[in-house]
Amino acid sequence: MSITRNYIEFLFGTKLERITWDSQQTLVPTTTVLQYLRGLSNFKGTKEGCAEGDCGACTVVLAVIGKNGKLEYKAVNSCLVFLPQIHGMQLLTIEHLSDKNSVLHPVQKAMVEMDASQCGFCTPGFVMSLFALYKSCSQPTDETILDTFAGNLCRCTGYQSIIKAARHALDEITPDSFKLNEKATIQLLQTIEKGNACFATANQAYYVPETLASALSVKNTFPKIQLISGATDIALKVTKKKETLPAILDLSGIEALKTVHETHQGYDIGSGVSLQTIKIELSTEYPALGKVLSVFGSKQIRQVATLGGNVGSASPIGDLIPLLMAYRAVVIVKSLAQERSIPIFEFIKGYHQIDLSEDELIVSIHIPKPNPNRIIDSEKISKRTDLDISTVSAAMEIELTSDKIITSIHLYFGGMAAVAARAIKTCEFLTGKKWEAATLEAAGSYLEKDFAPISDARAKAEGRMALAKNLLIKFWQNNSE
Amino acid sequence: MSAKVFHESSELHVTGKAIYVDDINSPSNTLFGYVVTSKIAHGKLCSFDLSNAQKVAGVAAILSWKDIPGHNQMGAIADDETVLVQNEILFIGQALFLIAATTEQAALQAASLIKTEVETLEPVITLSDSIQKGWKLNETVVMQRGNALNAFKTCAHVIEASAESGAQEHWYLETQAALAIPGENREIKVFSSTQHPSETQSKIAEVLSIGKNQVTVETRRLGGAFGGKETQANMVAAWAALLANSTQKPVKIRLFRDDDQRMTGKRHPFLTHYKVGFNAEGKILAYQVSFNANAGYSSDLSMAILARARTHAENAYYIPDILIESTAWRTNLPSNTAFRGFGAPQGIYAIEDAIERIAVFLKKDAAEIRHLNFYTKTQNTTPYGELVENNHLETIWEKLVKSSNYYNRKEAVDSFNKVHTYEKRGIAFTPVKFGISFNTPHLNQAGALVNIYTDGTVLVNQGGIEMGQGLYTKIQQIVAFELGLPIEKVLVNATITSTIPNTSATAASSGTDLNGMAAKNATDQIKERIAAFLNKHWKISDTKNSIQISELVFSNEKITHSKKTELTISFTEVINLLYTNRISLSAQGYYSTPNLYFNKETQQGRPFHYYVFGMAVSEVELDLLTGRHKILRTDILHDSGNSINPNIDIGQIEGAFMQGVGWCTTEEIKWDVKGNMLNHSPDTYKIPGIRDIPQQFNVNLLENAPNPNTIHQSKATGEPPFIHALSVLFALKYAIASIKNHSIYPDLDIPATNEKMVLCIQKLKD
Repeated sequence: MSITRNYIEFLFGTKLERITWDSQQTLVPTTTVLQYLRGLSNFKGTKEGCAEGDCGACTVVLAVIGKNGKLEYKAVNSCLVFLPQIHGMQLLTIEHLSDKNSVLHPVQKAMVEMDASQCGFCTPGFVMSLFALYKSCSQPTDETILDTFAGNLCRCTGYQSIIKAARHALDEITPDSFKLNEKATIQLLQTIEKGNACFATANQAYYVPETLASALSVKNTFPKIQLISGATDIALKVTKKKETLPAILDLSGIEALKTVHETHQGYDIGSGVSLQTIKIELSTEYPALGKVLSVFGSKQIRQVATLGGNVGSASPIGDLIPLLMAYRAVVIVKSLAQERSIPIFEFIKGYHQIDLSEDELIVSIHIPKPNPNRIIDSEKISKRTDLDISTVSAAMEIELTSDKIITSIHLYFGGMAAVAARAIKTCEFLTGKKWEAATLEAAGSYLEKDFAPISDARAKAEGRMALAKNLLIKFWQNNSE
Repeated sequence: MSAKVFHESSELHVTGKAIYVDDINSPSNTLFGYVVTSKIAHGKLCSFDLSNAQKVAGVAAILSWKDIPGHNQMGAIADDETVLVQNEILFIGQALFLIAATTEQAALQAASLIKTEVETLEPVITLSDSIQKGWKLNETVVMQRGNALNAFKTCAHVIEASAESGAQEHWYLETQAALAIPGENREIKVFSSTQHPSETQSKIAEVLSIGKNQVTVETRRLGGAFGGKETQANMVAAWAALLANSTQKPVKIRLFRDDDQRMTGKRHPFLTHYKVGFNAEGKILAYQVSFNANAGYSSDLSMAILARARTHAENAYYIPDILIESTAWRTNLPSNTAFRGFGAPQGIYAIEDAIERIAVFLKKDAAEIRHLNFYTKTQNTTPYGELVENNHLETIWEKLVKSSNYYNRKEAVDSFNKVHTYEKRGIAFTPVKFGISFNTPHLNQAGALVNIYTDGTVLVNQGGIEMGQGLYTKIQQIVAFELGLPIEKVLVNATITSTIPNTSATAASSGTDLNGMAAKNATDQIKERIAAFLNKHWKISDTKNSIQISELVFSNEKITHSKKTELTISFTEVINLLYTNRISLSAQGYYSTPNLYFNKETQQGRPFHYYVFGMAVSEVELDLLTGRHKILRTDILHDSGNSINPNIDIGQIEGAFMQGVGWCTTEEIKWDVKGNMLNHSPDTYKIPGIRDIPQQFNVNLLENAPNPNTIHQSKATGEPPFIHALSVLFALKYAIASIKNHSIYPDLDIPATNEKMVLCIQKLKD
């Protein structure tokens, strides 16, 4: 690809900031936004609580120009965002909220007035999550508030005061300084040039192509290159395992991968579409998908993480994979030479293994429109409801006769094997049986023939099996009317 | 003190301007400190080779035990911990070597190049293995009254059972951190995230072999602590000090989250066996309980924690014949340590579990059994001989039964359960009585320094640590009230060992009780000086009419004679007059809690200054298939005396309750057979999130309950409300027991994870 840009630019508050990867640069491209901030002497407000996106103490807000030409504000975990990923955006930290005269932003004021801080260490993260909500929501419900904070942990307050602060702040949303400066901000953001970029240091090359063709050409040249999009998983290699990733292909700059197309058959969802976008746009059409996404990670994660990333990682506990199997989703992959469509069930080949050649990229996932004769449902069990990886997850596609006889059933489980997998023997047993509680109770013993789960940090084998059996009954309970 | 006062740092918190150890802009030559730890749980460090590691560019120092100038000893009470392993390796995560380097990368690279030869020994990980192997940390301690073993013979009913509770990680948001800056002549200054600066100072002096007077430890605030920084911050500070001393450069160590979780101690897992004797009404006549605590590899505070478990074994109940035994057991795990409640939650859990069993056995309401057994005006002596005075149990019971609508809601719960197959509801009513004071009498002392400047502003230093609990705010309020100033005129700043020496840890909920009194003692001294001066200034020569301090009203920045209101002077004026008359405007206050004693031999005495009382009612709904549950409603009525700051106290209660809910439900730590901690990050260790709080959460303070002989008649609040979370556990068990119409008590311990509940339900159904 033709590479012209070796720098990134972003608005740091109101100031245009440029970081150039020339011979003088000491920051590696995979420096996270959190590491960058912590290295500055005047931006210590953003805290590191876990460096893995599980606590939200490092939450910052990224503003981008949205489709309607206005600024959209997203709260993200700065510990999981690499510097190149904020190119062209406005980065807002806790230091930017109160104005020059130290007048508190309404969200900050509400947090003070409702006694919503105790030790204060998680507080900047909560404030930034609340700020993003304040900037993007006109009539927030309690559910919106809880969803907004599901990615922020507090160990002191018991959260009630924080919820009160949010209600108080959102009670009356008035134009703040960010609203007043919106035009100027947009103008500044528009001055930032896009285009293919590559940032190279002695130990790392970081490619940010602007088009799919460029990306494919990079992939063709460097078949082993580490792919990222939202990077919410791969970033942990840097922050937790302290690995230096020698070569990275960052797909987050490719607009063509971020589109959702409706066709007669279904939806083609670009691999770079964020899970939050899918939650908002497709939950009505695909209720089971909406159900899973409502307990997927946190808002901070979902706004960054992509569908392509979740499918591509092929984790046995990937929340979406069993359900995509039930939806009979198809993965569309491309190389410079060809395009292939692979049913997701075949695409996932093994533990973190997928059917993707070295010169290919996942471009989209096709989800067929739900067949009105079939019921599709999903369940996820985790120790904590929010921001927790599943202990066991399951998805079901079922077709019943009018007198409730099962004519066809597909059951897929996550967390029960090295790969998300179909419960073949259980489905065989259930086919032709009556859709009633007793049938599903009896089916439980067949799960033992399908799966031999492991014991790990999340649950024991015995517990996983018991939960999986119960999910069969749960599916009946959910769909017994 | 009527106007609402916010947390003194709240504006700093919400603007990100509050400075924690890692936020201090240290000198540019500050080195990155890193700790190399053991990967085996039990064994011997036979030899090591640092030569390749030392060659890494940017490495300034790599230290082993051989490089420690002073004692290689870190135990808080017993001398049984090493700073760096010398020979025996006792847990995974134990410190072997220290590295100081210019960058994290250099330190990590050096760490990977250290060669060691170790001999692996079989580790002991679980409490039952330790008991089987006889790895007692100390001899069993017995506390008793009457003769429980005899009394059982005459009881109508006797139940024997076990109650087990797991480890709990503190999960303070700010991991352990220290910044050590070497000074001249071997002096050293350390900024440490410690709850106990004096002990941190002490340990640094010991390992560096210098005087305590050469070590200054400073702490402005902690990003949460909950007991986890009471002893365990000492190590991190000592490591940083060793590296700073060796390199003569500033060194900062901040533990990564996973390292913090792997290296530091937890709440003690307990395995408790009990036997309870009672009559047909449910009156408990005899109780025998044996606490076994998993101490981890060393003593730390385990014996003190068991002392609190013993003194809370009977909770709010008068039990005539009682026999309490406790034993701490060694294992190859990090040394378990203080955590909010300090053994009391585990101690109380057993008697509350016994009551739930009695209720199932007698087919009675558990709350009624509790009520029947409360301490009363006449049955008011604890097993250790202290009287339960100013007992609010009955008052709280009456008020909470009413405000929570307990009986009607219990009926509604039962009706709900009759018509639902897969969802069950549960409700439980639990009390707490909690003794306030350190169990060890001599620790109950504190100091404070109050300086008044000639512009009328006041600076307060005291020995307590601000960790979110609002201590500084309450101190500020106390001093402002005593001097009649608006709180803006009073600044409380960092806690420093050079200003207030020989302090106790900020622990045992006693921060405000002790330090608040010390601060008041300081202002009293200054007020005495003001009174003496005003006698002269107002020319009151007749000694009969001389002004007593009690006759002066300090209010609205003025000092006025209460009987002769024409005698009045502004605060700033009198302060300036004192200055020009060469009278000191600074006072060192001191306080020691009166009338505390405890005989360790007889286990009798008066260890507590007073008791805190409170009760909670929680209602839950449980999905039997998934173990998912929600707390529909929790009502708490809690006694904070005359609360100095009601909003801060309510925040403490809500937070403690949710921390307890985590202990009771989602927070689970497992180890593999080799001693590797499996839940070493928030990925798999789950503290409560925002959706886990009660859907309706009513927290109220008991009104009109002044506490005699404490600062402004207040009560401590930090730990006791943690116990209220047991109401959630027992509500869940009630929901499960409804499957068998409450004929069987479910086998379910702490933490009741969704997995364990589902397995318990399966067992009940089979």
